[in-house]
Amino acid sequence: MMTCVWCGRAVTPSVTLATLWHWQPLVAPEVCAACRARLRPLHAPQCPRCARQQTTAQVCHDCARWGDAWVNHAIFPYDATLKAYMQQYKFQGDYRLRVVMQPYLRQALAQETYDLLVPIPVTAGTWLTRGFNQVTGWLTDQPFQQVLTVDDAHKPRPQSSKTRQERLRTPQPFQLTPNATKILPNQHVLLLDDVYTTGRTLRHAAAQIYLGGAKAVTSLTLAR
Amino acid sequence: MDKSQLFGRRLPLTQAPAGGHNIPALRQVNGRWQCQRCHQWVGPTDQLPHGIPYCRHCLNLGRLTTHTKLYTIPEPNQFATLTSSPLRWQGQLSPQQETAAQAVLRHTQAKRDQLLWAVTGAGKTEIGFPALAWALQQGWRVAWTSPRVDVCLELAPRLAQAIAVPQTVLYGGQPVPYAYCPLTICTTHQLLRFEAAFDWLIVDEVDAFPLATSPLLQLAIQRAQKPTGSHLYLTATPGQDLQRQIRRHQLAVTYLPLRYHGYLLPPLRVKLVGDWRRQLDQRRLPGKLIRQVRRYQQTHQRYLLFVPHVQDLARVQAALQHAGLAGGVTVHAADPKRQAKVQAFRDHHVNGLLTTTILERGVTFPAVCVLILGGDDPVFATSALVQIAGRVGRQRDHPGGDVLCYATSQPRTIQRAQAMINALNRRGRRLGGRRP
Ligand SMILES: [Zn+2]
Ligand SMILES: [Zn+2]
Ligand SMILES: [Zn+2]
Repeated sequence: MMTCVWCGRAVTPSVTLATLWHWQPLVAPEVCAACRARLRPLHAPQCPRCARQQTTAQVCHDCARWGDAWVNHAIFPYDATLKAYMQQYKFQGDYRLRVVMQPYLRQALAQETYDLLVPIPVTAGTWLTRGFNQVTGWLTDQPFQQVLTVDDAHKPRPQSSKTRQERLRTPQPFQLTPNATKILPNQHVLLLDDVYTTGRTLRHAAAQIYLGGAKAVTSLTLAR
Repeated sequence: MDKSQLFGRRLPLTQAPAGGHNIPALRQVNGRWQCQRCHQWVGPTDQLPHGIPYCRHCLNLGRLTTHTKLYTIPEPNQFATLTSSPLRWQGQLSPQQETAAQAVLRHTQAKRDQLLWAVTGAGKTEIGFPALAWALQQGWRVAWTSPRVDVCLELAPRLAQAIAVPQTVLYGGQPVPYAYCPLTICTTHQLLRFEAAFDWLIVDEVDAFPLATSPLLQLAIQRAQKPTGSHLYLTATPGQDLQRQIRRHQLAVTYLPLRYHGYLLPPLRVKLVGDWRRQLDQRRLPGKLIRQVRRYQQTHQRYLLFVPHVQDLARVQAALQHAGLAGGVTVHAADPKRQAKVQAFRDHHVNGLLTTTILERGVTFPAVCVLILGGDDPVFATSALVQIAGRVGRQRDHPGGDVLCYATSQPRTIQRAQAMINALNRRGRRLGGRRP
């Protein structure tokens, strides 16, 4: 008997005619149909900059305030389902749950144009307690370059416990790795992160990557 | 860290305190890893990067890996000596309750594992008070636990008033940190954080989900209890398992087959109906049910109508309205207006409450009748049916009322529920119980 990796209920793997005849997103069989149905991807209309789901296709208020031309793509709205997922995967440290998102990330990455994939790093302290980088956990065989490091000193407390104002004031937490300046010049870099909240983290990362010589930086996040 | 935090506990710590023993959190048994907190097996793919196994079963108590150690300090019963009984409760037990309370006390003093089988509405909490006060006066460490958070939350203030000893309350997401106390009130899940701590364990609603089906929680109870300790199970509806233990004399039993007001339980009556789900597709309900609800409407009799699933609620309500029977509201576990709707029913603003099994336990309404649509659905386990029937006749001035079960068949669940009610009433009659 197989059980769903997320909800723990028994699943009977079934191959239907529909899955045979129609091309469908490759979804891990370890996740039951009910759990997959709870995951509803973002849909139009969205903010063309940050991918936020909204009632119009205009640039949203927050993006307008940034006043730049940042482009972020995202897969899911950061709703109750995604929050519950992140709670178990990231905060309780259930690394096994990475398989739930791997097929979605594979599909989303296949639709992006970029030269170099750079995941947002976690601090050494996080490595010690959590034991994994929640972002690279979603990657299967896609090549990536870890050109950024982040320092515990710059992360006094979790992003998720800050207000928007506090997050916007956060100082630059990232540094480039020594080999970054050899890798980055003239590359289109795609940053990968878990949740786009204010966009502060991604813009800090991008600033360093531009310093390393990249020609373009865009981002993909699991949730917005 | 204060040493008392570790007395009788089993906790993952990064730093070893003086005098603490530790064991690895995961242990390898025949090539498989077993969690030493919840005793579940770690799946072959349940690993962090670099192949570090971790337990997924008790994650919500903090993740355990092969790098974690669990610490404990043997329970020293380091409590202030009580020179008199800590019982502050001013209430009066009925003669039946008093007899039961004395029996429970005797079994407790003899350190026997025991069951108090008390009908719904018998006042089983208060029956436990004399034994609890005695145990605490002996310097025993006691836990009062339930599989259900709401039972713990409701119990804690009552125990704080009734028993004058320090108490700590534990459940997932509790706002107050743990403290070492003679009396612990916690969900059974929290017992996984204890080891040989309690001289006496009371398990309230022992049959309630998920304890009945969870070997994990059974194990938690066993391990949290001292090897020299004993436990008391409280229930109105013991499952097959407990009934077997009673037959084998593995548990001492105290019966309280009569409600505090001395009336027998109302019987569960079955009304056979056709395929009501098919009818529901056409916004119709069985004629017998419609006629019954109409009678209730005309006589202003309040009723609870139980349905198997949340999805049935709106459809049943629509079908009732279609038949010209308005005046009922629906309520379910995740209903944001749950409190308000239950209150509206309490205040007689609505005549009927359509609900799922969430209201099966603990909620008391005076002078109410109960209808169960689809009582043969598997969601209505025997214990659930007995608990639902137990909503009726709780008040001294309204000791009776209908318990009508509309079903297309009479499966074992219904037959067992009827047999349980009849058996309790036979015992009750011998004690002078009256028909309502
Ligand atoms: Zn599932
Ligand atoms: Zn935007
Ligand atoms: Zn475990």
